Amino acid sequence: MPSCAVKGGCPTDYIAIALSILSFTVLVLWCIVPFIVHKVPRTKGSGFWIPVIQVVASFFLLLSLVYQLSIALFSSLLIISNNFLKLGERYWWRSCYLWGAQWTIPVITLHSLYIAILVGVTTAVHHIEFRFDELKDLWRGILVSAVSIVIWITAYILNEVYDNISWLEVASRFLLLVVASILVVAFFSISSSQPLLSQISLRRRETREFRTMSQALGIPDSGVLAQSEPISRIDPNEPLDKLLLNKRFRQSFMAFADSVHFFDEVYELSKIPEDDCVRRIYMARHIIQKYIVAGAAMEVNISHRSKQEILSTSNLARPDLFQNALNEIIQLMRTNLARDYWSSMFFLKFQEDSNLRSNEYELEQMTGWNFSPRLSSVHGADDPFHQDHLLKSSGCSSDTTDL
Amino acid sequence: MLSCVTENMGLLCSRNRRYNDADAEENAQTAEIERRIELETKAEKHIQKLLLLGAGESGKSTIFKQIKLLFQTGFDEAELKSYLPVIHANVYQTIKLLHDGSKEFSQNEADFSKYVLSDENKLSDIGARLDYPYLTKELAQEIENLWKDPAIQETYARGSELQIPDCTDYFMENLQRLSDANYVPTKEDVLYARVRTTGVVEIQFSPVGENKKSGEVYRLFDVGGQRNERRKWIHLFEGVSAVIFCAAISEYDQTLFEDENRNRMMETKELFEWVLKQPCFEKTSFMLFLNKFDIFEKKILKVPLSVCEWFKDYQPVSTGKQEIEHAYEFVKKKFEESYFQNTAPDRVDRVFKIYRTTALDQKVVKKTFKLVDETLRRRNLFEAGLL
Repeated sequence: MPSCAVKGGCPTDYIAIALSILSFTVLVLWCIVPFIVHKVPRTKGSGFWIPVIQVVASFFLLLSLVYQLSIALFSSLLIISNNFLKLGERYWWRSCYLWGAQWTIPVITLHSLYIAILVGVTTAVHHIEFRFDELKDLWRGILVSAVSIVIWITAYILNEVYDNISWLEVASRFLLLVVASILVVAFFSISSSQPLLSQISLRRRETREFRTMSQALGIPDSGVLAQSEPISRIDPNEPLDKLLLNKRFRQSFMAFADSVHFFDEVYELSKIPEDDCVRRIYMARHIIQKYIVAGAAMEVNISHRSKQEILSTSNLARPDLFQNALNEIIQLMRTNLARDYWSSMFFLKFQEDSNLRSNEYELEQMTGWNFSPRLSSVHGADDPFHQDHLLKSSGCSSDTTDL
Repeated sequence: MLSCVTENMGLLCSRNRRYNDADAEENAQTAEIERRIELETKAEKHIQKLLLLGAGESGKSTIFKQIKLLFQTGFDEAELKSYLPVIHANVYQTIKLLHDGSKEFSQNEADFSKYVLSDENKLSDIGARLDYPYLTKELAQEIENLWKDPAIQETYARGSELQIPDCTDYFMENLQRLSDANYVPTKEDVLYARVRTTGVVEIQFSPVGENKKSGEVYRLFDVGGQRNERRKWIHLFEGVSAVIFCAAISEYDQTLFEDENRNRMMETKELFEWVLKQPCFEKTSFMLFLNKFDIFEKKILKVPLSVCEWFKDYQPVSTGKQEIEHAYEFVKKKFEESYFQNTAPDRVDRVFKIYRTTALDQKVVKKTFKLVDETLRRRNLFEAGLL
């Protein structure tokens, strides 16, 4: 035992090395298996490179730790074959420690600095709501790093002070390598790597296409209309925001005007329970990207103030995040869109679907109405005139038969 | 044909009587539709497409409403009544804007004392709500009292910083009438009512004057002017006879509704230039409406034109009416310059006309439209080689 402490090649050293090789293999398999088993197409850009960097970094970390041990191992092998190198080995080994003594303080300072920066950054961003509770992980990471450094310093000092207790040296290097091996695997599974994990996880198989964000987030009763949706009579005199809670009506109005899509998605957001911050934030971010940001694909017509209020918020999970913007949009729908909607083909069709076509009298009335279709969608392929053929033939009564 | 008939006969026999009637009716209807479509497509060729373009709140929809009034049936009672909630909403929103504005000024300005309201009230809360109460006499009185508060008046004097709509003065002066239990909005009220347009609206009309000479049929498209609305414009750009570009010349000291860091006049300039450069408009006539002249002539005596970066080099020459004319001519010249700078040499033969308008003034709009109509007809004759 005492000799192997200096020469290297103690059983604990072998165990530690085996463990680190094992953990590294696990790591590599973890990354590769999903790709091999499920033939997931390789993602490009950061999605691919971040796991690669993480694996390579883990490899180097373990390698650098194994380095000390392996020097000892290799040299012990060499000693057997080549007695002459014995002195040289000792010298080498010693020089490592000398190097250590000389550089330990700056290295420790560097590590402490790293932790200090980490603490600083974390406090600076502590008010941001992250997707996966990254903040908690950051604090956890800081704690672990700090503890590791403390352990390292303790081990170093003990080794320096009790230079002659060989088991201490052996134990400390065993501990160091084992802890590092575990950490390497652990780091890969914590949530800051979550996006990577979701990308390469085994569950990847069940890739599904979601038509809307609310479906992807599993918000109940969202997405396509179920046939069983109750058919109810719509009274145009009721307040619009009440009417819009009717799904059938909402879908019909959505086809007529794009602003209603915003209402729909905010309504879906309101269905997520308030304590489910992660999903709320996901949905809020989706809405902001799609409707609020300047130049967004479906940007809504809201005032500068409401927009700024949303974009500068510190809490994306806030329940009233979109309230002012939503009020503006409802007001816009009420004053501008609704009046035209009641006399549009969309409402006619809606009524027809709801079996409301009661008598010829209604149709008679509608022929005289002035139809003003809106651009219902904004994506390039959309042709605003595609309904025109129907609408142009002023005999709207005949059109209704086509529906 | 025969087979068709026999087939029909077979069907006739197999179905019950009620169904037969429906079938025959349907056939007649189909024929009617086809006949109409044919007529429509024939007529379609003669319809001229006009686009109302311009930044937000430049008066496009007001022009649109005027056209409805002038050349169509106008507004029936139901339509007038449908503007009642809009007008009431305008009142509540405006008073909220003014109330909140005065609060903000009283907190941040050095001369805060003049913005401090004499007493607190709940009106601001109503403005924030969605379900406005009916404007009763009592509420109207309360609003009127607040409106007459010196702090609110001071705030209103700085209205250009607050996105206060142009209709404020008009509605506040008419509060008593608006709050009547049997109130039905007048044509004028409807013209003043501020509604942000979203999407695209169209009407078809023929400006048949007293002499019934013009047989031209126009289809006029009105669009929303805010930035987010402009992505919808592009769908309309094909086959346009004329673009009516509205520029609110009174807004040289105001910022955009959708981006308060941006001067409205600068936005209009850039937008105008963007429209001019559109490949679709190679042969399209441009009618530039320098709109809101009524507000412009009042403002120009109080706020120097040079506050706007585009008009930095403006030098006032005199006072009163002369000064107004001078300023207007200056603005007009700027737009002219911009037009020629942004029109490629091969497009210079497209028509470009500038009109001084006040969209709220029916007479002015009517006169302007006659001129537009005349210009477009002459242009058509010219293109047909008759002139």
